[in-house]
Amino acid sequence: MRCQICGSHFEPCLSSSLPFCSPRCQQVDLGRWLNEEHGLPIEPGEGSEDNLSADLGNDTQWT
Amino acid sequence: MNDTQNPGDANPEANGGTSPEYDQSDLQRLSDLEHVRERPAMYIGDVTSRGLHHLVQEVVDNSIDEAMAGFASQVDVIINADGSVTVEDDGRGIPVEKHEQLSEEMDRDVSTLEGVMTKLKFGGKFKEGAYQATGGLHGVGVTVVNFLSQWCEVEVARQGNIYQQGYERGVPTGDVIQRGTTQKRGTRTTFKPDGSIFQTTKFQGAVLQKRLQELAFLNRGVRIRFQDERSDQQEEFYYERGIVEFVEYLNRASNALHSEVMEFSGEVDEILFEIALQYTGEFTENVHSYVNNINTQEGGTHISGFRAALTRALNNYGKKEKLFKEITPQGDDFREGLTAVISVRVPHPQFEGQTKTKLGNSEVEGIVSTGFFEAFSNHLEENPKAAKTIVRKGVLAAEAREAARKAKDVLRKRKNALSGGGLPGKLRDCISNEMERCELYLVEGDSAGGSAEGGRLRDFQAILPLRGKIINAYKAREDKVLANEEVQSMISAMGIGVGAEQDISKRRYNKVIIMTDADVDGSHIRTLLLCFFYRQMYHLVAGGHVYAAQPPLYRVRERKKTYYMQTEEEMKRELLNRGLEGACLDSGDGRVVEGDEMTQLCNVLATMEEALTALERRGINLKAHANRIDPETERLPVYRVFLRGEEHWLADRDKLEEFKQEHQPAEDESATDENDEGEGESNDQVSRLRIVELHEMRTINTGLSDLRSLGFDIQSLIAQERTGVEEARYELQRGDSTIPLEELRSLLSAVRSAGEKGLQLTRFKGLGEMNAEELRETTLDPENRTLLRVEMEDVAAADDLFRVLMGERVEPRREFIEKHALDVRNLDV
Repeated sequence: MRCQICGSHFEPCLSSSLPFCSPRCQQVDLGRWLNEEHGLPIEPGEGSEDNLSADLGNDTQWT
Repeated sequence: MNDTQNPGDANPEANGGTSPEYDQSDLQRLSDLEHVRERPAMYIGDVTSRGLHHLVQEVVDNSIDEAMAGFASQVDVIINADGSVTVEDDGRGIPVEKHEQLSEEMDRDVSTLEGVMTKLKFGGKFKEGAYQATGGLHGVGVTVVNFLSQWCEVEVARQGNIYQQGYERGVPTGDVIQRGTTQKRGTRTTFKPDGSIFQTTKFQGAVLQKRLQELAFLNRGVRIRFQDERSDQQEEFYYERGIVEFVEYLNRASNALHSEVMEFSGEVDEILFEIALQYTGEFTENVHSYVNNINTQEGGTHISGFRAALTRALNNYGKKEKLFKEITPQGDDFREGLTAVISVRVPHPQFEGQTKTKLGNSEVEGIVSTGFFEAFSNHLEENPKAAKTIVRKGVLAAEAREAARKAKDVLRKRKNALSGGGLPGKLRDCISNEMERCELYLVEGDSAGGSAEGGRLRDFQAILPLRGKIINAYKAREDKVLANEEVQSMISAMGIGVGAEQDISKRRYNKVIIMTDADVDGSHIRTLLLCFFYRQMYHLVAGGHVYAAQPPLYRVRERKKTYYMQTEEEMKRELLNRGLEGACLDSGDGRVVEGDEMTQLCNVLATMEEALTALERRGINLKAHANRIDPETERLPVYRVFLRGEEHWLADRDKLEEFKQEHQPAEDESATDENDEGEGESNDQVSRLRIVELHEMRTINTGLSDLRSLGFDIQSLIAQERTGVEEARYELQRGDSTIPLEELRSLLSAVRSAGEKGLQLTRFKGLGEMNAEELRETTLDPENRTLLRVEMEDVAAADDLFRVLMGERVEPRREFIEKHALDVRNLDV
């Protein structure tokens, strides 16, 4: 397994801080949550329905 | 040579027993001896095992000095069977000649050897220039060893002769005598510590071995052999690369962050420093420091100089390379994972501290700091890869320190607010405290939170409304994150703590249920929440305590009856099934398709629906594509190939391979072609071959074959140009109504539309559109709801995706949406 914080490879069975290699790296991750650094990119103007409406196809005929 | 010693023949008077001369003629010497034996701790620290072993080091240090001065190459240390210790080197040998000054003082002929063994502060060490900097704790050396031994014997091989003198409790048992000749040279000292002074006189092989190895590391090129006659144990220590090998040895079980040990050295005003260092993935600092081979366990000025320079150099580098974000690492952060050996040689060391192992010379600090800073900074510049790795490690350490502080705050807040249970204000807790029954709904959005609060089964269901927060993470990008308060609320509400102290048996709820909208926002939040639980409450996920709620997408009202549909597919199927009741198709040629056949037809069309849309999204018109059908197999081509601007359509993989073979530039042709230009062109041809595989075509071809078995060909799917015909090509008949159709593709939507008659459909745009009653009925009440247990693999996959998405690269929107679609699919499985 590869630690997402420090990048080192480790044996999952030897770690007490899964999915990280060490309590230290897990702590760094927690700090990033608390600092609002873990985010997903959103594009400006991306509506909530834009993407799903493509799936609906003939939607309009029913209503 | 002016040999004043007695020759080798035994002289009973001078040699046997303790001569009164030695006892009485030198008060000064006697007082030295008495002083050492009365207050041994002043000279060797203490009289425990530690002091005992120190005796060996005092003797070995003399040999090492000789080796470092280039006169010896080997040191042997033997613990003899009787518990005495022998130290032997192949150096010049302690001089045995008459020492004029001493002889004059003592009013008899005294050899230098005797002076060395019986006079404190006597010998080469105390003459400037004899050795640049020497070992020995306080420069008292072998004299003290002799004084504290029950007996001691020195043998010097020098200029072809062997000389020897013996002592008992520091007092010579006779003159220095010559005992024969030899080809060898060197000094051999054997001593047995005095049991009336030491608490123990038993040497421990392991202790000596460790110390000797350390000395071999510190004095490169010196071969030290160790033998314990009591156990027949033998070791040899020899290190060409000195402290570099020491660092490698210390790091033998750790993962180094950079492959090469870094090495620095310098000399100012006869003060020498040597530093070797390497960073590892460990979190502790492992620094060993020495002054004149003495382990300075309490540190001192050399260490403070080293530390200051290390921090300054790494900080400068990090700033210059813009490697710091908000936090600038401190000294401690840069020492996490540091393994270093610092060895300095100081002509006049001053030792301080409890155990006299702290260097006090203030001038050393500046010399080490300045010299090391410059060398280390240059090294960082020249090795940017290692430099960046080291600085990043420091940044992580700083981040961890900061995170630990924040996490502590969160947990403290919870404890302080004991009156209110320390629970977050937004939490609507349940009444029961039987954990096994209790459930926590994490609900997206405040309005949905309100509905959920109204609709929950208050006895055992708690509601925590959460919202995503949009921040400007990077210049060209906005990010959705979980706000700090939300993260804190979740940690507090769960009650299991964080990090190493986390204990999931303390969980306040047995189920955590994530309830988000079925839209992009919802899937963002769901992804964030899943990643948070995966990373920070791993065991909660592994234990199967995390679930995803399945709120409905459609509400269907039929007269007085209301029911719900969870997915688009489910809804479409329902409408189709309803629409098929009593429906038939007049295919225009007198044939009527009905019953099972009609159902089959619609099912085939349904399987082709998405594939046909996909094909057209590529800009391929079905009507045009139908012309490319293979008349024999009646299949449409799957591969679209562009070669030199021409478009080719190939039916399947075999045809594609054939085509590639055919148009491969023949290699021998280009080889025989001596024209360079020709060769260039053939390469160009290869690069112009572009192959597009139309995956959806497989579904379409299968569908076409199914259609044929029902009596329809591809043209049935394509509107035909018909002039002068009044009647519709096909007709959907259902009860009294008739719907004309120009092709079969529109049959599906026509049937679905028919199926919708009498129904009132509402598509929920979000959870907030449901009222409390509806939410309870569909999503909260265990009687009716469907929960998906979040499995470890789902969440690990979500985490992978998350990692890709939150990467610092600004990704094109399209790529993001494609991945995002994958995300929704993964999590909904």
